[in-house]
Amino acid sequence: MRHSLSIAAITLGLAFAGAAQAQSTTDTRSVTVNGTVAQVCVLGAPAPTSINLGQMAATSGTRTGKLGAIADQSVSLPATFCNYGGTQITVVATALIEGNDEATPPSGFSKAVNFTANVSGWTPTAASVTTTAASDGSNATTTSGGPEQAQPNSTSLTLTLTNFSAPGDSILVAGGYNGLVTITLGPDGGH
Amino acid sequence: MTLNRFLIIACTTAALASGAGATSAAAASATAGPASVPVTGTVVTFCTTGTLTNDTTVFDLGVLTDPNTGLLKNNIAPVSKILNGATCNTVSTITVAASPMTAQDFTTVPPAGFARAIDYTATASGWTTTPAVYVTSQSSNSAANQARNTPFSGQITLTLSSFTTTGGSNLLLVSDPVYSGAITVTLAAGN
Repeated sequence: MRHSLSIAAITLGLAFAGAAQAQSTTDTRSVTVNGTVAQVCVLGAPAPTSINLGQMAATSGTRTGKLGAIADQSVSLPATFCNYGGTQITVVATALIEGNDEATPPSGFSKAVNFTANVSGWTPTAASVTTTAASDGSNATTTSGGPEQAQPNSTSLTLTLTNFSAPGDSILVAGGYNGLVTITLGPDGGH
Repeated sequence: MTLNRFLIIACTTAALASGAGATSAAAASATAGPASVPVTGTVVTFCTTGTLTNDTTVFDLGVLTDPNTGLLKNNIAPVSKILNGATCNTVSTITVAASPMTAQDFTTVPPAGFARAIDYTATASGWTTTPAVYVTSQSSNSAANQARNTPFSGQITLTLSSFTTTGGSNLLLVSDPVYSGAITVTLAAGN
């Protein structure tokens, strides 16, 4: 009888030990995988990379010496994107300025050719800027920002140069003329 | 001394005999027994996934995209995690499940050309000859459950691989501070 009691006690002891360890027939381990995607904008490589207008002044007729008809010029920037919303195109345009002669041109002459630079494709309304250089080449650079693009966007941009004109429709001084258009894509002014 | 020892053994034998049945104690005999005493116990089935390497529950992949292209990097290969001391004391089944990494802030449908999710493959090896594999891009994952026909205690290696942009590798990933997915490894008794 004493032995029987002892065995019963041992059995109970084992049962309590098992309950305390809370052993389960199923065990699940959870882990997470995290990463980040940083904000990035990429402007596609412009094609063509430069524009050569050639001879700009008329060489005959009533407009001899003045700016001739210059066709609109286009540059494509394919594979342009921003992977976040709240972005803006900024266009900085510098008029074509004759760079060899630093002297102020005489009255009736000009050493500047203005134009309009239009960048379309990023937003329904294009970013546009028109240079307003004076005949002496001063005030050659103008900057303008386009509308905000609220969503991530991937597209091709088109830069178009139009409305070439000389200040006061003056006779252009001879020489080489250089202008520049710089396009920047990034967060708008509010970001 | 010899007599005393004989008496003690006889008393013990009598007590065991009475435990086994009253009729045995009443019968007079030159020998008694043998008496059988059943001893029983139970070992409950249990499984544990053990402990994770360094107790880190996060695969931190860092920046996921190539900053020059905006596309998912093609060399993402995080260090595997080890479940040490995984144990089942009976036949078992290992199951792995995973969810795609998704942008946690950008929760709306992304614009055309963009994605907000990343698929991958989660592999739990070491428990069964054929690893348990879950591919998040697949609607059916028949290899996610693998059975083992013997008790086992050892390591489970959890590996993530084959990261791909959901919807196509040509899609750009929207910017987001956190892309996150979840992986679970379950050991269950039985198969």
